[in-house]
Amino acid sequence: MFGQGLIKGLQITWKEFWTKKFTVQYPDEQHPVPERFHGRFVLDVDKCIACSLCANACPNKVINLKREKVGKKQFLTEYVMNIQYCMFCGLCVEACNKDALHFSQDFNMNQYFYRDIPLVLVRREAPAEPEEEQAGKTGEKPQRQAKAKKQAEPAAAEAAAGKDPGKEGQ
Amino acid sequence: MLENLFVGVADWLRSLLGGLGTPVEINEAIVMLVKLVAILVFILLNAAWLVYMERKVAAYMQARIGPNRVGPKGLLQPFADVGKLICKEIVIPRKADIVVFLLAPVLIFVPTVMVFAVIPFGKNMAAIDMNIGVFYLLAITSLSTLFLWMGGWASNSKYSLIGSMRVVAQMVSYELPLVLGLLGVIMIVGSLRMSDIIAAQEHVWFIFTQPIAFLIYFTAAVAETNRCPFDLVEGESEIISGPYTEYAGMAFAMFFMAEYANIMVICAMATIMFLGGWHAPFGLDFIPSWIWFFLKMYALIFIVMQLRWTYPRIRVDQLMGFGWKVLVPLALANIFITGVGMKIYQAIGW
Amino acid sequence: MLRTQEYFLNFGPQHPSTHGVFQIILTLDGERIVKAEPVCGYLHRGIEKLAESRTYTQVIPYTDRMDYLAAMLQNLGYVQAVEKLMGIEVPERAEYLRIISGELSRLASHLLATGVYALDIGAFTGFLICFRERERVMDLLEELTGSRMTLSYARIGGVADDAPEGWLDKVKQLMDAMPDYIAEYNGLITGNEIFQARTKFVGQLKPETAINYSLSGPVLRASGVNYDLRKVRPYGIYDRFDFEVPLGENGDCFDRFYCRVREMQQSVRIIQQAIEQIKEVGGPVQAKVPKVLKPPKGDVYHEIESAKGIIGYYVVSDGSNKPYRVHVRRPSFINLGYLDEMLRGYLIADVVAILGSIDIVLGEVDC
Repeated sequence: MFGQGLIKGLQITWKEFWTKKFTVQYPDEQHPVPERFHGRFVLDVDKCIACSLCANACPNKVINLKREKVGKKQFLTEYVMNIQYCMFCGLCVEACNKDALHFSQDFNMNQYFYRDIPLVLVRREAPAEPEEEQAGKTGEKPQRQAKAKKQAEPAAAEAAAGKDPGKEGQ
Repeated sequence: MLENLFVGVADWLRSLLGGLGTPVEINEAIVMLVKLVAILVFILLNAAWLVYMERKVAAYMQARIGPNRVGPKGLLQPFADVGKLICKEIVIPRKADIVVFLLAPVLIFVPTVMVFAVIPFGKNMAAIDMNIGVFYLLAITSLSTLFLWMGGWASNSKYSLIGSMRVVAQMVSYELPLVLGLLGVIMIVGSLRMSDIIAAQEHVWFIFTQPIAFLIYFTAAVAETNRCPFDLVEGESEIISGPYTEYAGMAFAMFFMAEYANIMVICAMATIMFLGGWHAPFGLDFIPSWIWFFLKMYALIFIVMQLRWTYPRIRVDQLMGFGWKVLVPLALANIFITGVGMKIYQAIGW
Repeated sequence: MLRTQEYFLNFGPQHPSTHGVFQIILTLDGERIVKAEPVCGYLHRGIEKLAESRTYTQVIPYTDRMDYLAAMLQNLGYVQAVEKLMGIEVPERAEYLRIISGELSRLASHLLATGVYALDIGAFTGFLICFRERERVMDLLEELTGSRMTLSYARIGGVADDAPEGWLDKVKQLMDAMPDYIAEYNGLITGNEIFQARTKFVGQLKPETAINYSLSGPVLRASGVNYDLRKVRPYGIYDRFDFEVPLGENGDCFDRFYCRVREMQQSVRIIQQAIEQIKEVGGPVQAKVPKVLKPPKGDVYHEIESAKGIIGYYVVSDGSNKPYRVHVRRPSFINLGYLDEMLRGYLIADVVAILGSIDIVLGEVDC
């Protein structure tokens, strides 16, 4: 009969009117972010051997890394991702042999100024001599490392810890 | 006490003015002015909150929450919106007819506001109880066609032009079934005065004696206000926004508010003509008559909104076909049956 | 003397219902269409050219960006083409994961097509009701791959990662609930008389014309041509599943729409079967492939049934680690070919109905 579909439609909207709503009120409550979420990159500097496999795996040449030779090993001095060109495909994370590069669950990566967009994961000076020799001499490896890390990535560490709300998430 | 709240206020005002010793005519004029201003404020606030209601109803039917940030439960959202729209620039297209373009949103509110003068919101609560109330209302509401068309024509945009042509076609062809639908009621009552029509429904509402007339009236009225499923004047997926396409800021808001004020008019009209106006059903007299009136009116408004958020839009040829081939013959048949029925009842001597 | 004049109307590229940046220059006589000239290319990014300077693996994320609504199916077509070229055997479990994620992608795409079509016709609620379930599907895909739309999940020789724990159960849960939701869409959209009046016998397409114009996907099947690559030429492991190919009768807008709705039901069936079967299949999700892919010299053409139609990848290898040429047969683009003739004689409102029923996605049209 003509009109049945019309009444059925009204019934459905009437039923929907009283059912539970689907909205998640974002800033107050958050949808759980899955474990594999492709969020901001995190680099485990200690594990990284500066092999640049990730930079080669990237389809868009997002990753720029600089390294210096310290003793026999490569030392990572700069690791910057031009995140505005990143497709978050995950090929770089997959390429990493040493399990140093990861995705985090942090999706809030927007910046107010264009110049702030590149994601600086490491920027530090290369030490004058290899760490192992130093450690062998003085036995103060842990502190030395911690110090180096602190100097190296103040911006990245702060942003990652959410201490710099003025720059991100605006 | 509550029953005569507004009537009491008017009487109090009258006695207050009477104490001043001014002539009676001036006192009456002042009371009338106060009434009209009160109605005007009521319409504007109501139109603003109807927008809020529409958004909430829409959201609730779509598994969403709707506006809920400004004020408690988002109740102040319309004022935030209006504030924003006032701040916006009214962009005038370069080749637009500026005078007509700016006149249209100013004039669009005129017929709507004029109509409210005759609507009885409760017992003895019409600003003017005119003896040709229904006729006046129909004559004035049909004016708004002109202003929508003015807006569309003056914009000098093709989408606006198509929209305004649709306005004229749709409004003119749905005016007819609207009037013919009401004619059944008017024949039974034998009067065009709204208070008479309401008085005639003290025992039985006309929705039960004239169900087909109600359906015809309601359908035609929804089309008359350009609401879904007859919203092809706006038709946002086809012609962007019809006559309003080029309007921005408060000029757009005027059209928008007028639409909601028009919904109020048609729903108030349906309440008066078919749902017994301010009469309380089931003898629930302890609730004041004006509350009953508003309850009925808002129930109808809710239905109009639900229709919008359920149905798709019909096409322009189907719209005309439906109006002329279905509604008009049906309305004429209804008038014929009503007339025959009335004669039979008179013959029986009922 | 009184005379009428035809006029032009720029329908797009900024228009709410061209589904992106697509322009149709309409020649109108009143509201009736005399001529329609589709203009595409506003979203052209040169993906085919970009692919030439990327290694074989690096092309995968670009294929996402074509039909971003059903990204997994785009990945799958490319990956299978390269696998065909190199002769790689894909592990069982990876095949199943490909099927599940691919059909979920198809479901997401069809849900959007259904909802947006309701919006085109003017029913806003149908749009958001469909989006609600699409959101659930996306959540599942996000949990599997880490991204919501541009999945980049398929890899040459398998998939990127195994399903996380408990994921398959979640998929099963949603799939079990899906028939009820589809019944709701049918009640709200399909069964509505106004909707039917708007779409039935509008933009009719004869089966012969559809074949001559090389149309594919639901657009072709709505005309009654039983041609679904999953049945006709099963790729992957589609021959293991029991499903039907929904067909239309009149080839009008309604049939095209309803074909998609019924295809959703079939997708649900396929996923349910795949989840049953994957339980017994263990093992790796990646075949052993060399780190640097260097396919032998030669070319390959592989086509699969995407959400919009048949998507074909033509890959030419010159023996290096980068493809010499990649060409994509994009169903959205080819399905648009008949648009002009389909629109002639209809009203402006029908433009929206017909264009929506073809279900284009501009990322794919312009590539």
